[in-house]
Amino acid sequence: MRRRKRYLVATLKYVFLTAVALIAIGPLLFALYTSFESPVDYPHFVSPLHLTLWNYRYVLDNAPVLRWYGNTLFVTAGVVIGAVVVNTMAGYVLARIPFPGRAISFLVVLAILMVPLQAILIPLYLLVAQLGWLNSYQSLIVPFIANPFLIFLMRQSFSTLPADLEDAAAIDGAGRFRTFLKIAVPLTMSGIGTQALLAGTWTWNSFMIPVTFMTDPNRYMLTVGLNSLQSQFYTLTTVQMAGVVFLAVPVVLMFVVFQRLIVPSFATAGIRG
Amino acid sequence: MDAVLPPRPLRRSRPPRRLPSSKARRDWTAAYVLIAPAAALLGYWFIYPIVETFVLALQRVNLFHFSERTYVGLQNFNQLWHDPAFHHSLYITLIFVVFVVPAQTIMALLLASVLHNVGFGKTFFRTAFFVPYMTSTVAVTTVFMKLFVAGGLLSSLLAAMFRLPNTTWYAEPEYALPFLVIVYVYMYIGLYVVVFVSGLEDIPAELYEAAKVDGADTVQQFRFITVPSLRPFVLFVVVAGLIQAVQIFDQAYVIASSGTILGSPAGATATLVIFIYQQAFRLNDLGYGSAAAVVLLAIVFLGTIVTRRLLPERS
Repeated sequence: MRRRKRYLVATLKYVFLTAVALIAIGPLLFALYTSFESPVDYPHFVSPLHLTLWNYRYVLDNAPVLRWYGNTLFVTAGVVIGAVVVNTMAGYVLARIPFPGRAISFLVVLAILMVPLQAILIPLYLLVAQLGWLNSYQSLIVPFIANPFLIFLMRQSFSTLPADLEDAAAIDGAGRFRTFLKIAVPLTMSGIGTQALLAGTWTWNSFMIPVTFMTDPNRYMLTVGLNSLQSQFYTLTTVQMAGVVFLAVPVVLMFVVFQRLIVPSFATAGIRG
Repeated sequence: MDAVLPPRPLRRSRPPRRLPSSKARRDWTAAYVLIAPAAALLGYWFIYPIVETFVLALQRVNLFHFSERTYVGLQNFNQLWHDPAFHHSLYITLIFVVFVVPAQTIMALLLASVLHNVGFGKTFFRTAFFVPYMTSTVAVTTVFMKLFVAGGLLSSLLAAMFRLPNTTWYAEPEYALPFLVIVYVYMYIGLYVVVFVSGLEDIPAELYEAAKVDGADTVQQFRFITVPSLRPFVLFVVVAGLIQAVQIFDQAYVIASSGTILGSPAGATATLVIFIYQQAFRLNDLGYGSAAAVVLLAIVFLGTIVTRRLLPERS
């Protein structure tokens, strides 16, 4: 009797969780399926035999989607590479090298961790405009390389390394730079991977910054481009869903593959920040 | 002359403080070199703009003539104080937060406690719940707009279930804000589920075993072990969720972006950040927008202080 009750509870739990999981990924599945439906079929559900690639061909022919893809890839790569170099170095210093001003530097990082981009968008725009960077790729890359959250994350990663690491390296005659590059960095690859994935996802998905800095449709990021499709193909839901698939699927696939690196950083960083 | 002068005091004359060794000094050089790029970039692109927001808030600056700035003192704040549009944006943001924060906290807590003690598939479900948070807000909002259009999948379903009108939610003044709440909560629940699950995992199993030995039933265990242990996590999710929700922008921008006035329909989604954006980049008044941004900074700052105060020290 007790056992049957336990099975029942377990089954109910799985039914509940499965239902919620379906709700969570349902909208994406809807977009995916609809993107293969012909626009004339759309509000109705059609059998998989009637699916077509028409929407993809149409959106590629009528909007510079490939161009937007290229822009997005380029900007994302720029931020990721820059972020990995800059934040890793800073995180290492804050975790491992005692120097005058370390405590205050870390406090500054913590203090600006919470400042939302929304609140400093206007001065950011002015800086970019004064440099003549509006509609330029560097306006989407350079300001977003150094990131307080990522510095914090890297500091946590480097802090977990054993304390005698530097001593052992120093005895072998390695300087700080060699210790950092040859010993600390290889031992922190998963932290660096997490950082790259987060920086990549944020940049790929970013909207407010590119929609403000980039007015030339050829310079759009995918997010901005997809948003512009809304008014352009207002009645063509299926075409818009093809755009959604272009935008969302790469990140979602990447996330599913690397979720082990991504999810824990949100679980702990949040509350300890 | 030199000979009569007392010997110059050496730095070593203050014995308690040892001079850093030459190795430590070499380390300092390494530290400054390695941290310099981050310091320069954060200084230029983060700290300077924070200060600049406060300066701009005291000025009158036009978007298209931004090199001409005139100080106007507190005039922008005075104007905010009397501006019905600004009050409206605070009100909209408040309503948004009041619905979003409890909804996402309670649902995430419920999901996390179910997820916490299932035998297998934990990672699978956690990943599925987290997918919306990783998806672009533009993509999610676009899809939800299709689901909540008149005759759409979800608007029809909700109309059938709760006798709501089968209408285009984001175009109706009454339903646009609830639409934003739904899209937003949908995206953020997974994030907070992860926070709560890690909180539940932190509770030592011995506590429950000891309680069982003492004869506590499931409800009592939940009441006297789970709830108090999770308190800091609940606090964090509430305050961080509040700080996050106050910043809502992308979703509201997307549903209104076919028009030139943001916050449509009829200002129903004119949140605080939409107000800032509208003033600065649609009405070209950078100073006035910055004054509103200072208010946003103040809200976020207060929230951060509250979190720090309430949360116990953890490594």
